[in-house]
Amino acid sequence: MAYAAGVDVGSTQTKAVVIDEARTIVGRALTDTGANVMRAAETAFQQALADGAIPEEEVEFVVGTGYGRYKVTFGNTQVTEISCHARGAVLMFPHTRTVLDMGGQDTKAIRVQPTGEIVDFCMNDKCAAGTGRFLGAAAVALDLPLADLGPTALRGERAVKISTTCTVFAESEVLSWLGKGKKIEDILLGVHESIAARSIGLLRRVGIENEVTFTGGVTKNQAMVETLNKRLGLTVNVGAESHYMGALGAALFALDRILGGRAPASRAAEGGAA
Amino acid sequence: MNAVFPEWRDQPLDELLYRSRELIEDTDFPTVRRWREQGGKVVGHFQVYFPEEIAHAGGLLPFKVRGAPVEPTQADSRFGSYLCSIIKTSLELALSKRVELDLFVTHPICDAARNLAGVWGRNAAYPCRILYLPQNPNSAFAAAYLRDEYDRVRRVCEAIAGRAITDDDLRRSLAVFNENRALLRRLYALRRERPWLLPADDAYVLLALGGVLPREEHNALLRTVLPLLDERAAPRQDKVRVVLEGGFCEQPPLDLLRAIARSCYVVDDDLLIGLRWLTSDVPADGDPLGALATAYLERSAHSPVQHDLRKPKDRMLLERLDEAKAQAAILMAAKMCEPGLEELVVHTRALDRRGVRYFVSEFEENMTSFDTLEIQLETFVENLLFD
Amino acid sequence: MIVGRGNEAGARLFREWFDGLTRAAEEQRGAAYVFVMGSLAELLRVFDFPIVFPEINSLQAAVRRVAHEYLNEAENYGYSPDICGYVKADVATQLRGGQHPMGKIPKPALAVCTNACNTYIKWGEIWERMYGMPMFTLDIPGSRGAGLASPRGGEDFERDRRYIEGQLTELIALCERVSGKRFDIDKLREHMGWANAMSQGWARVLELNRSRPAVFNALSDGTIYLGVANGFRGAREGAAFFTDLVEEMSHKAFRGIGTATTEKWRLLFVGVPCYPIFRRFSELFSDWGGVFVNSTYLWFASGGANLGFTYDLARPLESLAEGILLGVRDAMDSMFFQTDALVHMLDDFAADGVVYHPIKSCRTVSTGLADSRRALMAARDVPSLFVESDMMDRRVVSEAQMKNRIDAFFEGLAARRHQALATA
Repeated sequence: MAYAAGVDVGSTQTKAVVIDEARTIVGRALTDTGANVMRAAETAFQQALADGAIPEEEVEFVVGTGYGRYKVTFGNTQVTEISCHARGAVLMFPHTRTVLDMGGQDTKAIRVQPTGEIVDFCMNDKCAAGTGRFLGAAAVALDLPLADLGPTALRGERAVKISTTCTVFAESEVLSWLGKGKKIEDILLGVHESIAARSIGLLRRVGIENEVTFTGGVTKNQAMVETLNKRLGLTVNVGAESHYMGALGAALFALDRILGGRAPASRAAEGGAA
Repeated sequence: MNAVFPEWRDQPLDELLYRSRELIEDTDFPTVRRWREQGGKVVGHFQVYFPEEIAHAGGLLPFKVRGAPVEPTQADSRFGSYLCSIIKTSLELALSKRVELDLFVTHPICDAARNLAGVWGRNAAYPCRILYLPQNPNSAFAAAYLRDEYDRVRRVCEAIAGRAITDDDLRRSLAVFNENRALLRRLYALRRERPWLLPADDAYVLLALGGVLPREEHNALLRTVLPLLDERAAPRQDKVRVVLEGGFCEQPPLDLLRAIARSCYVVDDDLLIGLRWLTSDVPADGDPLGALATAYLERSAHSPVQHDLRKPKDRMLLERLDEAKAQAAILMAAKMCEPGLEELVVHTRALDRRGVRYFVSEFEENMTSFDTLEIQLETFVENLLFD
Repeated sequence: MIVGRGNEAGARLFREWFDGLTRAAEEQRGAAYVFVMGSLAELLRVFDFPIVFPEINSLQAAVRRVAHEYLNEAENYGYSPDICGYVKADVATQLRGGQHPMGKIPKPALAVCTNACNTYIKWGEIWERMYGMPMFTLDIPGSRGAGLASPRGGEDFERDRRYIEGQLTELIALCERVSGKRFDIDKLREHMGWANAMSQGWARVLELNRSRPAVFNALSDGTIYLGVANGFRGAREGAAFFTDLVEEMSHKAFRGIGTATTEKWRLLFVGVPCYPIFRRFSELFSDWGGVFVNSTYLWFASGGANLGFTYDLARPLESLAEGILLGVRDAMDSMFFQTDALVHMLDDFAADGVVYHPIKSCRTVSTGLADSRRALMAARDVPSLFVESDMMDRRVVSEAQMKNRIDAFFEGLAARRHQALATA
C-alpha cells in the first residue's frame, strides 16, 4: 500500500495529512508553526504518521504547500496553497464550484471546474480587513478570547455598521461603539458582517457559483458561517476537516505523482528536494 | 410632463429645504424614476461639465452622475485597487438598477473617468460615450473642434430622442439654462454677502437639485427660494469665512458639509462646479452650438482637471479667496484622486506664499464618521479666531 | 554575432543618449520634455532640442533600485503616496538639479504632452511652475466609445485630424520662439522618414514573434526595444537600430532560434512591467518556461508605433497629424477598449494564457483592467492571471505574494494541458 502526504505550512499553524491510494485520510496533525518553520513541518509530518501508525518508508511522495512550502525540505515538490485548497475542497464536497478560504493571515476566493481545475482565483493578503486577523484585532480590543467571538456574535440582533476598512483602526472603532452604548453582541455581529462583506467582495471577483465551500481556520466560527450564508443567499459547505483542506489537497497532488508513476523508487534515495 | 418633484411647492423655507435634502440624499433617485415613468428618457453625464442644453433640447433629462454614498457591492469587482470611490459607486447605480439611463457620457477629466466609458459600456445595454472636451483650450482651433464635437453629441441625443434637435430647440434650452445660471449666481452671491442665511449644506442641496431635476423645475424652486432666504431670520454669528476647494468631482457627504458649517461660513466653493461651469449667459442668437462651445472655452470656471494657460490654478484660488473675502481655505481631495491630490501641492504652496491659512484633508463620499476631522477643523478655526 | 545584437545595441544607445543628456545639462541647454504616447520627437528634433522622456528616466530609477529614495523625497515635498510614481520620481530628480542614476538630466526649455494620459497634463503643470517654461498640450481626440474609432478619410476623422494639424502649426511657432531656430520642413521630412523606418521595423519585429519559438521576450527584451523606439524616434540611429533588429529577428525566426528560455508556455502581458524587481519579475514566469510573446505595453507605450503607419513625406504636416491621431488613438484604445484586440492577439500569437498586471501608479492602464479581463474571459476560454503591484513603488511589490499567484497560474496551465491531452 502506498501513501501520499501533504504538509501545509501556514504562518501560524502547520498541518499535515497522510492519505492512502483510496484517497482516505489515514493520519493528520496540526502544530504551531513558530519561528522554526522547517522543524514545524517535520514535526507535523511525524505526528501525522504517528496518528495513522504509518511507517515513514511507505509514504512515497510528499508535497509541501503554504507560505513555507519551500521549507518542507523533506518534501518532493511544492504546490501553491491555491491549487491545494481547490483540490481538497472538491474532494470533500464534489459539487464545489467556488471555494472561500479564510485563514489567519489571508483570504482566498477560488472558482473551480468540476474536475477541480482552477478557473480563477483572487487573494487578499495585503489587507487584514476581511481576514481572520480582523477578528483577532476585535478580540484584543474587547479583551475576549478568540473562541468566544463567534458565540457572542450569534446573540447579536442588530449588527453595528463597522465603517473602518483598516484593522488598525478597527480596535478604536469597536471601543468607540462600546462607548456609545452599543451591545457587545451587536458590535461583534457587525465585525463578522464586515469581514463577510469583504470576503464576498473577493468571491464576486472570481464569480460565485453554487456550491460554495468554506475552508480555513475561521470555519469553526458558526457566526461567520451563518453570516456568509445569509449574505450569499445559499448554504456554504463546511467540513470537519476544513483546517486540513490545504494539506489534503497537497496530499492529493502527491498521490497523482505516485499513481502517474512519477514517484521516485525510494524517497530515501532521492534525499528530498527543496 | 408632470413635475417630478412637486413636494416643495407652497412649503415654508425650512420644510422646503428638508424635502430637498431628503431628495438629494435618496440613493434611489426618485425624480429620475418619475421622469421615466412618464415615458421620459435620461442622459447620465459624469463629472465635471457636460453641455446639458444639448440633451435638454432633445426633451431628454440630463442627470448628473456624481456617485452616491452606497456600497459598490456589484461594481467593486469590475475595478482594481487604488481607485477613487465615485467611479465605483457611479457604476453601482447602474448595475444595481437604482438609475436607468438611455445614454451615458463621460469626459477625459482624468484617467479613471476615461476608463469608465469602457467599463460602463461593457456592462450596460445603452450607448456609452466619451465627450472629448479640449484639453488644449488655448488653441485657436479649439472652438471649431469643440463645436463639431457638440454636433456629435447632438446627433447621439437625436438618436436617443428619436427626433431632430434643431437650432431653435437649442436656443430655447439655452434660455432655460441661462436663467438657471443666473439664479445660481444669485444664490452664491447671497451666501457670500450674508452667509448666516445659507449654511454650506443647504447651499449644496439647492445646487445639487439641478443635477436630478428638469431645469425648469429647478428654476422655479430657486425663484421661490431666493426671496425666502432673503427674509430668513437667522442670527449673524462670528464664524470664520472660508473657501472650500476640492469638491469638483467626488462629493463630500452632506454630513461632512454640515460639520464644516458648524465651525465656518463657507462663502465660496467648487462643489458640483460642473453645474455652474459657464460663468455668464450664453447668447441665444446665432449658432447655438458655436456659442456653447465658445462659452466653454472663454467664459468658464476652473478646476484641477481643466488645463488652461489663462487660468493657472494657484492664481484662480487666490482670486476666489479675494472675491469671496474669505479668511482661510479648506482644501480637500478625494481619496485616490490623482488630479485632486496633485493640486493640493499647488494650492498649499500658493497659500503659503500669500500667508493665507488653510486646512487640508482627504475625504471619501461614503465616510460616515467625521469625529477626527471635526476636531481638527475646530482647532484650526480656533487658531484663526484667536489670532 | 547577430543573435543578441539588438539587446547590446539597445543598451549602448541608451548610454549614449544619457551621456548626451548629461552634456546638455552641463552646457545648460534646455531640453524638450516629452512622453511616450505621442512624443512629437520627429518635429522637436528639427529644432535640435535634446529629447528627455521623464517616464523613461523614472523607470530607469526603479530598475536601478533607487526609486524609493526619489519617491520619499517627492512625498516629503508634499506629493501623496497614491499618485503616479513616475511623476514623483521626476519631481525628486528636478529637486536634485537633474541628478539621476544614468547621469544628469537637463532642465526643460519646453514640454509637449498629449492628452493620452491626463497625468501628463498635471505633470507638465509642475514644470510650468518650477521653471516658468511653456507647456504645450496636443489634444488628440480618442475613440468616443468601443468600436467607434472613426475611419480614416471619413468626415469625423478629418475633423479630428484638422484640429491636430492646426495645433501642430501652433507648436511649431512655439518651438521657433523657444529654440530661436526657424522651422525647416525638409528636416521634418528627414526625421519623419526615419520614424517611418522605425514604425515599420517595430511592426515587423512584433509580427515575427508569431514564430514558434518566439524570437524575443515581449516583457524583458521588448522593454529594451521599446526604449529605443521612444528615445530615438525620428533619429537616424533609431532607424538603423530597427533595420538591424528586423534582420536579427528574421534570422532567428528562420532558424527557429528562440529566447534564452525553453518555451513551454506562450503568454500575453497586459499592463506595465514591475520595474522595481524587473529581472526577478521576468524570471517568475520564465522559470516555468513562460515566454511573453506580445504585450499591449509594446503598443500603447510606443504611442501606437506598432501600427507601422507610414508618413506621406509629400504632405508632411498633414500626414504627421494623421499618423499621430491614428497612433495615439490606438494607444488609448489598447488600454480602454482592448477586448477585440486581445482576442486577435491571442489567436495570432497562439497564446496559452494572459497575464494582467495592473499597477497602483497608473489609473490610465489599470482602472478598466479587471472588467476588461472579464470581457476577455467571456469571449474566449483562456486562462488568465490578475496580479497587482506597481512599476515604481517597492512598498507595494511583494515578490512572495506574486510568486504564489504566478505559481498557481502555471499549475493551472499545466493541469489544463494535462487534461486536454488526457481527453484527446
